[in-house]
Formats: sequence, C-alpha cells, structure tokens
Amino acid sequence: MSDDVVWSIINENLCSYKVKTKTQTFCRNEYNLTGLCNRATCPLANSQYATVREDKGICYLYMKTVERSAFPSKMWERVKLSKDLDKALRQINVNLIYWPKFMKAKCRQRFLKIQQYLIRMRKLRLRRQKKLTPVRLKIDRRETRREQKALIAARLDTNIEQELLKRLKEGTYGDIYNFSQVAFDKALDAEEMESEAEEGEKENESDEEETEINPEIERELEGEYEDSEEETHEFVEAEDSDIMSDEEDLEELNSRVTKLLEKSSQAESSSDGESADEESGPSKKRKLETKAKKKRKTGKKKMEIEYEIESSSLPKVKVVGR
Amino acid sequence: MSLACSRPLISVYNDKNEATGTTIKMPMIFRAPIRPDIVNFVHDQMSKNHRQPYAVSRKAGHQTSAESWGTGRAVARIPRVRGGGTHRSGQGAFGNMCRGGRMFAPTKTWRRWHRKINDTQKRHAMVSAVAASGLPALVMAKGHAIEKVAEIPFVVSDKVQELQKTKEAVDFLRKTRAWNDVDKVYNSRRMRPGKGKARNRRWLMKKGPLIIYNEDQGLTRAFRNIPGVETLKVDSLNLLKLAPGGHVGRFCIWTESAFKRLNDIYGTYAQFSKEKTGYNLPIPKMITTDLVRLLRSEEIQRVIKKPK
Repeated sequence: MSDDVVWSIINENLCSYKVKTKTQTFCRNEYNLTGLCNRATCPLANSQYATVREDKGICYLYMKTVERSAFPSKMWERVKLSKDLDKALRQINVNLIYWPKFMKAKCRQRFLKIQQYLIRMRKLRLRRQKKLTPVRLKIDRRETRREQKALIAARLDTNIEQELLKRLKEGTYGDIYNFSQVAFDKALDAEEMESEAEEGEKENESDEEETEINPEIERELEGEYEDSEEETHEFVEAEDSDIMSDEEDLEELNSRVTKLLEKSSQAESSSDGESADEESGPSKKRKLETKAKKKRKTGKKKMEIEYEIESSSLPKVKVVGR
Repeated sequence: MSLACSRPLISVYNDKNEATGTTIKMPMIFRAPIRPDIVNFVHDQMSKNHRQPYAVSRKAGHQTSAESWGTGRAVARIPRVRGGGTHRSGQGAFGNMCRGGRMFAPTKTWRRWHRKINDTQKRHAMVSAVAASGLPALVMAKGHAIEKVAEIPFVVSDKVQELQKTKEAVDFLRKTRAWNDVDKVYNSRRMRPGKGKARNRRWLMKKGPLIIYNEDQGLTRAFRNIPGVETLKVDSLNLLKLAPGGHVGRFCIWTESAFKRLNDIYGTYAQFSKEKTGYNLPIPKMITTDLVRLLRSEEIQRVIKKPK
C-alpha cells in the first residue's frame, strides 16, 4: 500500500531498525541516507529512495523505485561513482535528475562526507598507527611478582662473587689487585675458620679417644709421639688446681707451653729422640694452643675435662722451671 | 492504492528459485486495509485462549481451628491457633498478613481465562495480517531477512507440499534465499531466564519463515525440525502465527494452490467469500491512502485557498 500507511505502522508500532535514545531516534537500516529515523529518510517508508554507500573505498549510488518495490532481490539499482569528486557529483545529479530536491541534496552531502572520511582513513594509514593494547592488570601484577622472585632466585651477588673468587684463585687477575678491606677480612676469616675447623675436628677425635681408651693404651699411643718416657713432657695438675680460676689455668698452660718449647729447643741438638719430642713439642704446643683457644671460646666444663684426662694419662712429673 | 487499483500478477517460483511461467493475480486480501490496532487487540484476546487455569488450593490457610482471643489479653485480635504444646499454638492464623495464613483473594479456577472475540473482528485482524505480509517494507521492519528473496508475496509451486526429507526442505530454503531468515533464528537462540526453563520452555528464538500450504503431502514433517520455520494450512490460518507478538508483517511462503484459495476463503470486494458465509473483505476508511497525492490533486487544489 502507500508509503503513508507503511510509515504510520512502522513509526507507531514495531520497526526493528529503530533505535531510540533520549534525544534522538536512529535508523539501523544500511540504506538509510542520514541514519536518523524520519518520515523523509526512512528507506522502508519511501518507495522512491536513493543513497550513497561506500564499499572498500568505492562509492556507489543506490536507487529504489516503486516499480521494483515488490522484488527485494532486485530492489536496489547500483551505480558506481567515479573516483573523481566532480565527476561523481555530476553522476549523482544526472541519475537523480527528476528526483525530489531533498533526496538529491542529501545524497550529495552523504557522498562528500564519505569522501572526507575516506581521505582521513588514507592519511591515517600512512601515519604511525597507534595500536591500542589493553591494560592487563592481573597479568601485569603476576609477571612483576615473578620477575622479583626470579631475581632473588638467581642469587646474582653470590654467583658473581664466587665467579670472581674462582678467577682470582686461578690467577687470571695476576698478583696485584686491589681488594676491599671488608672482603679481604672476610676471606681471611673464612680461611682461618676452615683450618680451625679441621684442627677442631682432629682435636675432638683425639679427645674422644682419650676418654674411651685405657690409660695404658693411651701411653702406647702417646708413645708414637714420644720415644722416651723419661723425657715425657707431661702436664700435671697444680696442687691447688681446684681453687684456681680459668684464667690462671690458662696462664699456667701457656707458661708450661713456653717452657716446653725452651726445653725442646735446648735439647734439639743433643738427641734424635728429642727430635721426636721437638716434633711432638710443636705439635703438642699447637694442640695446646688450639686447646687453649678452644678453652677461650668454650666454657669451663671443657677445660675441666681436659685437665682430668691429662692427669690420668700422663705420669705426674713436676716440671721445674728455670 | 485504491480498491480498484492494481492487482499485480505474482509469479510462481519453483523449488530451484526460478520463475515458472505461471502467474497468479494477487488475491484481493492483499489490498485490504492494514489495521495494526485491530491486529493487536485480537492477538491479545486470542493469546489468552490457550491458557491453563492456575489457582491456590481451596483449603490453603484454613486448615486450622483458630479463634480470636478477643480483647483484654494484651495481644492483637487476629485469630490464634488453639491448644498448646507446639510452636504453632497461639500463632496468628487465617489472615493474609499471618504467617501460614491464606493469601489475599485466593486465586480461583473459575477466573475468566478465555476471551470471546467477534468473528468479524477476528477475520479483520486476519486479513490485515495477511495484507501486511505482502508488503516487503513491513516484513523487513518486522525483522525478517528477506533482502535476497525474489518477490513478496512469495509463491512457490506445489512441489514443496510433496517434500519428504528435511534435507530437501533445507535445500529449498537455501535456493530461494529464505535461509538467511533461518540463520537469523539460529543466531538468536538463547536460554530463557526464569522458571520457564524448567517448564518445557527452555530455549528462546526468533521467528523464521511461515509456510502456508493447501495440502500436506509430507511438507509439515519435512520442515518440522528446522528451527524458526512454521507451517500452516490455508483453511485454518492462525493470527498468532501470522502476527506474532501482535505485530504485523511475518515472512510467509505460499504454495501455489494455497495462494489461489485465498480469494475463495476471504472473498474479493466484488464477490463474497465462498467459505465464510456472508463475509466480505473489510472496507477501508480511506480508499486512496496517499494523502500527499490527494492534497496535490487537481480536485482539491482547485478548492483550497491559496497560501498567504
């Protein structure tokens, strides 16, 4: 029927292309000239209608007439508009020659708008195109945390230090090198600790042996270190050992050690047997020193134990100092 | 277009979407006035006729022997449940405000569920709906994807009535470009919100093409399983199917024989309907509906005063 009837039905009842907003009604029909829902621009309610549409950069003029209104597949007549602006406008004018002015004007306007946005699109394509990437908060948070963990797990500082030390030991840096005082001290302490640890181990072992083994066997063992029992330098409890203090003990020990040393040095040249003593002496001395050191570090208890052991294992000989 | 005006010749298409030589003169029904208001009203009333009654139990809320304690007991005067030894004793009963009481105005089964509609009204609505289905603009506005269909109203040869297999039916729809409408149905499928899900109304979809036939020789079964496609016999056209939702303009595919029968069923203005006794098509209020053309016409322009 007539356009008016169609329009009254579409407008008042249902039109699936109509989109209503607070200020305006839009028409989602692809052939709409302006995009608004109006009596004059509705492609459904006007049996004679024309639009300009663009497909992949090429503009076409679409026309619809009454005669073809019953055949949807053939309804729209398409005319390809030339790329030249003036020619295209003339084409529009020629094709819509006896059409209402409103339609002609709107077609021209739409064509120009399309051309403008096509130009803009081409310009944009030539420029650097900003690529919008979304901010992925969850992923970002996760990754930063993982990076931190990986950094810690890598233990860069220690690995670098080890690498450098290794190179130092290998001698790739030569002899002269400037170390930081802190590092040097650290390294020294580390070495001392190592050696102490070794001796400490030995000491611990020997202490254990002394506790377990019989005094006779001890003597035999001791015999390895000393050849003669006559010149055994054995340490004896002081008479008032119980009352004595730690420090005094230490001092006593130290004094005895020094005496021993003197003695051994004196007896050096005399006999071979003494050489053994010498050996035993410094070794003993060493032992004593370390023992002393240990005593400094460890508590009273240990000292007492050692005392007892020594007295039990070794025959009591009074050392007369000169 | 006026009453006496063009009744174009509609070509019949075969199942391969080629125009067979045959043409049929458009039935007058397609020139009947389209009255969306009547369609809406009738559709409204008609859709009530399929309802099943619902009601609350007759006894609900009254299965107590509660009695009001009266005044002087420092409690509200609603009837309270008798007896003791349970939570229920002393609780309010019977009122719509009470917990476990009867509702206000309990629903009854003898509610007027169905509506009577005048025959002429029903027919008028029917006629309008069919007429609207013949206008491509209205069918497009309704939302059907008919851009590639050859002609509206779309008439197909009677071979469609003999289709047996759904495959053939799909093939037919594809060839005639009606499949776009079915595609739209597929894409619109979604689950219904609410309890209807569990009451055999799980899926919601749009409506697809409606196939109107004269004689079922397998057609209904061929098109049955295609979502959105519905079939209808010319003898018993259904407004609820021709104007779903109360809105005119469903995409209809007519078979040739069905199309030919429309004149007999509904009559032309020149002759009464052969099947509906004493019925003729509704007469429009305006014969020439093109108001602009009217106003510009000689007869009227001669009489109107000139603009200032």
